[in-house]
Amino acid sequence: MQWSGRRVGDTYFKGDDATVKTVLVVEDHKHERILYERELTAEGYRVILAENGREALQKTQEERPDAVVLDINMPQMDGLEALGRILEAHHKTPVIINTAYSSYKGSFMSWAADAYVIKSSDLTELKDRLREALSRGETEGV
Amino acid sequence: MVLAGGQGERLHPLTKDRAKPAVPFGGIYRLIDFTLSNCLNSGIRKINVLTQYKSYSLARHLRMGWSVFNSELNEFLEVIPPQQRYTERWYQGTADAIFQNIYSLELERPRLVLILSGDHIYKMDYRELIRAHRDKEAGLTVACVEAPVNDARRLGVAQVDNDSRITGFQEKPLNPQPMPGDPEHCLASMGVYLFDCGVLVQRVIEDMKTDSDHDFGKNIIPRMIETDRVYAWNFKDENRKTVKYWRDIGTLDSYYDANMDLVQIDPLFNLYDEGWPVRTYQHQRPPAKTAFEEPGTGRTGNVFNSIMSSGCIVSGATVRRSILSPSVFVHSYATIEDSILMENVEVHRHARIRRAIIDKQVAIPEEEEIGYNSDIDRKRFTVTESGLVVIPKGMSLRNTP
Repeated sequence: MQWSGRRVGDTYFKGDDATVKTVLVVEDHKHERILYERELTAEGYRVILAENGREALQKTQEERPDAVVLDINMPQMDGLEALGRILEAHHKTPVIINTAYSSYKGSFMSWAADAYVIKSSDLTELKDRLREALSRGETEGV
Repeated sequence: MVLAGGQGERLHPLTKDRAKPAVPFGGIYRLIDFTLSNCLNSGIRKINVLTQYKSYSLARHLRMGWSVFNSELNEFLEVIPPQQRYTERWYQGTADAIFQNIYSLELERPRLVLILSGDHIYKMDYRELIRAHRDKEAGLTVACVEAPVNDARRLGVAQVDNDSRITGFQEKPLNPQPMPGDPEHCLASMGVYLFDCGVLVQRVIEDMKTDSDHDFGKNIIPRMIETDRVYAWNFKDENRKTVKYWRDIGTLDSYYDANMDLVQIDPLFNLYDEGWPVRTYQHQRPPAKTAFEEPGTGRTGNVFNSIMSSGCIVSGATVRRSILSPSVFVHSYATIEDSILMENVEVHRHARIRRAIIDKQVAIPEEEEIGYNSDIDRKRFTVTESGLVVIPKGMSLRNTP
């Protein structure tokens, strides 16, 4: 993997451009956090991380990310509760559910997500859905 | 889903200590009894009542009067205060109330969800509404009633095509659009919405993602006209009078008028139809009675064109066109006209009361006059635009001038 950006704290930047989008990745497994951080940074996003729903709410409040990638099964506060809370407090922030389980599609609250991605080692779908969600936000003037 | 969370500010002081759906009505009822009786009479026995402000007396009334559902048959009436599952805020609007209770729908997974208000007076067989909804394969069906153009300014107004499909909807429009061929009337929403559950959840979530009032009438229905099959259902009144009866109890004056609809010789709203019982909670009390018959002294217990609830005693006094809730005691030589007296009001000798609403547990002192001098009344009580005097629950009048 080619790293062309600069590093600030734990965060890699591809460029200094003010148009760089910030993505909050919420994931309780450390190795997966590292994977998403690297892959999405390489896509040109500024990536911030949270380990559970509670931390996700705090980071959403503080950092106002342009999109949230949200796991569901997590300690402290799960992704579905966090999703409802993000919707109440930051209703314009797109959220992409990223889970190993398809069964949560049956949960009404999961319908509030902009996309529902089943985890895979191939992140193509996640990246595609993320790009779509962010471009929708742009056209809607968010 | 019965929405019972409104603050009812315009009904103050009747809502000083209670939620609007818990405001007493017609002697023995509370406002919510009419909607819940419609449910029971329509065979609907899975009910969530969404409460919010001052829900204590409402919850108590429902527990004491409406514990008639059998959980072994999967029936329920749940009183649900705000869960604060996703927010610390109170409900922002009617749609937000549903959004915040999506979990309760998820547990039940119904095919259809009926959304009702806990403060309307009417008789409706919801099964007819459900039939129409299915016939039209609608995503949402809105129960509608013809309303005078002037009244429509405070209601939702619908325009429909020949197939009853709603083509336009405005909430509280300044210039309500009358029905074709009838410039005096509009097609008004009764605040009764039947949704396919999936459509409801989807539309409510979508609405939460927008800057809106999160209100069915203002936001959800107008937007759904573009995306879904939204139909009007013309209210079929189980009250079976010439004029359809539906009252949205919004103000003290409309509350008073709706009560007075019960005491005419042939009342506009019929409580005596055994085919459409209206359920409530009642304590065990002795029968109502009158006392004394002394035509020479004027000390005769007379009650004309009124509702007298159990436990009332009218002793040597005269009551005309009034509603006496349980255990009202009217002493000799007192006169009560065109008034609503709630539980345990005591009217002492020679007092005179006209066009007043007196909330529970108020004692009217001897020779007191209420409703006869609006300047004096205004200094002490709430007086409405039409001159109606309202005395709040438990107010002490002993030391007032």
